[in-house]
Amino acid sequence: MAGFAAPTGVAPPPGGHHRAPGLLAWIILSPLLLWLLLFVVAPTLMLTAVSFAERDALGRIVWNFSLQNYFRAFDWVWLKILFQSLYYAFLTTLICMAVGYPAAYCIGRAPERWRGILLMLVMVPFWTSFLIRTYAWITILSKEGIVNSLLISAGIFTEPVSLLYSPFAIVLGLVYNFLPFMILPIYTSVEKLDNAMIEAAYDLGAGPLRAFSQVIIPLTRPGIAAGAMLVFVPSIAMFAITTLMGGGTNPMIGEVIFKQFTSGRNQPFGAALGTILLLVFILTLWLARSQRMKEE
Amino acid sequence: MKKTTLLLSALAAFALIGTTHAAPNKNLNIYCWSEYIPQAVIDRFAKETGTKVTVENYASNEEMLSKLAAGGGAYDIIQPSEYVMEALVKEKFLHPIDRAKIPNLKNIAPQFLNLAFDPGNKFSVPFMAGTVGIVVNTDLIKTEIRGFNDVFKPENKGNIVVLDDAREIVAWALLANGMGVNQITDKNLNKIKPTLEKWLPLVKVYDSDSPKTALLNGDVAVGVVWGGEGAILLNKNKKFRWIIPAEGSHMFIDSLAIPKAAKNVESAEEFMNFILRPEISKEISEEFPYLNPNLAARALMTKKELENPASFPTDEEMKKMQLFKDIGTQASEIEEIVTTLKAQ
Repeated sequence: MAGFAAPTGVAPPPGGHHRAPGLLAWIILSPLLLWLLLFVVAPTLMLTAVSFAERDALGRIVWNFSLQNYFRAFDWVWLKILFQSLYYAFLTTLICMAVGYPAAYCIGRAPERWRGILLMLVMVPFWTSFLIRTYAWITILSKEGIVNSLLISAGIFTEPVSLLYSPFAIVLGLVYNFLPFMILPIYTSVEKLDNAMIEAAYDLGAGPLRAFSQVIIPLTRPGIAAGAMLVFVPSIAMFAITTLMGGGTNPMIGEVIFKQFTSGRNQPFGAALGTILLLVFILTLWLARSQRMKEE
Repeated sequence: MKKTTLLLSALAAFALIGTTHAAPNKNLNIYCWSEYIPQAVIDRFAKETGTKVTVENYASNEEMLSKLAAGGGAYDIIQPSEYVMEALVKEKFLHPIDRAKIPNLKNIAPQFLNLAFDPGNKFSVPFMAGTVGIVVNTDLIKTEIRGFNDVFKPENKGNIVVLDDAREIVAWALLANGMGVNQITDKNLNKIKPTLEKWLPLVKVYDSDSPKTALLNGDVAVGVVWGGEGAILLNKNKKFRWIIPAEGSHMFIDSLAIPKAAKNVESAEEFMNFILRPEISKEISEEFPYLNPNLAARALMTKKELENPASFPTDEEMKKMQLFKDIGTQASEIEEIVTTLKAQ
């Protein structure tokens, strides 16, 4: 988490010295530390421990050390599902970026009294449960739904087309759900953008394209990076949307893990897949971080 | 300030008297399937017996099993299907029931009593049963469909919804190859693999929770679904037809049982007896039209309800039904076979 906790990327002042935190700082930090310990560190350790165990016929964990779950996890079947989940997450991130950047830029450059309202509009759909919103998409995209009836009555199609239960529907569902997580961090970067810098670029002879690519993009990069992480990481394991809108024909890694914990009655194997997924997350965050360090 | 405190404590005292009068601290914690026991039924039980009822839901037998096996939750009533009942009885997870407290058990048809998963009904009373069968949208499919092999044909590609349940799917393939639903051995699994390889790429939607949605919206034309879902579709539109597969099918029996760790055994038995009352059981059937094993409740049901073929199979069809047995650790293997073929 720490990797993108500060989306605007306030770097420590060059040459700034690190001071050991005092007692007060620790007291103020303690709720957060406790929270992290209880709900992040402890469950992760438990998951890792279970992944080396075995299970009995009822699915209860038997504490015999075994690497069997990892041998099984590195089978092509599961890796293929992991790669497919990564692919969908990557596609979702790209589309969110392409759609979210202009939106965030417009909101960030809008007159100040408008910004609050515009940001609010981004957030309003999220006051409803995401399951309800996903079911709404099912009614919109189904063969007897609004989109199909519109297309047919407009004479564009004669037969209803299959929009739902397809890769298209999966990506649409993911983009729809994660778009605000891209818009918000980019917005914070755009809002801080110094107009003088852009004017300077123009004064020095840059065209709009060059000003955008060499001044605006680098200045808003922290927001883009944070947004990309906030969309990419949760998209990998998201399975409620992919099963509901994709029809479950493309199993995702999150769904596969869930099923091992339930109907497969094999928590240790599910835990091994979960641990591998966790390593993928850590690798992603570490790569993003080292990239940022290099730039600074 | 003092006045308000006084008033409040007086009110609290009254409230206390009120509750103690109605109920000497009776509680009941129910852990049951979602969409299976109507809220009105639970409210009525709470009011009638003065019991404080809490309900938690699960979406699959294994979800309940894993919570119970891990020792979580103090539940008084659970609602397992036949093969999980078998495992729970075998592993001594259940509290025996006192038949004298459940006289309404006499309402249950004999064919749903004394079954292999709980001989003599020492631990369970039947709640509902149901079949797995085929629903066809006759507006979209004109050819005759009689069994699984007619559903999974290339011309139906992208037009099929099935239950998102590896055990079910494997059972259908076993039946289509002339084997019983419980003959799950490595050899037989290898034998049915070609069938599954042929079937699964044809499927458009996997959905166990509400397979009727895809059929209602016209996104698919045929499905293999739970009987209760089929019955709702048949009631909604005449274009839907219900077929019990010629090869036979799975019949599930969901029972009520009391876990050993239960704290309110008496309330649990009271609830079992309440659920088996004819008028209550009928009310449940009205909302969730599964195969009601309660003969006295059936006597109260309308002709239309009783003639719904997705709720009540004929005697002929009943002979083709098979119950699931517990398969233990093989569950994970079956999950892998089906996942592999889905991802191909």
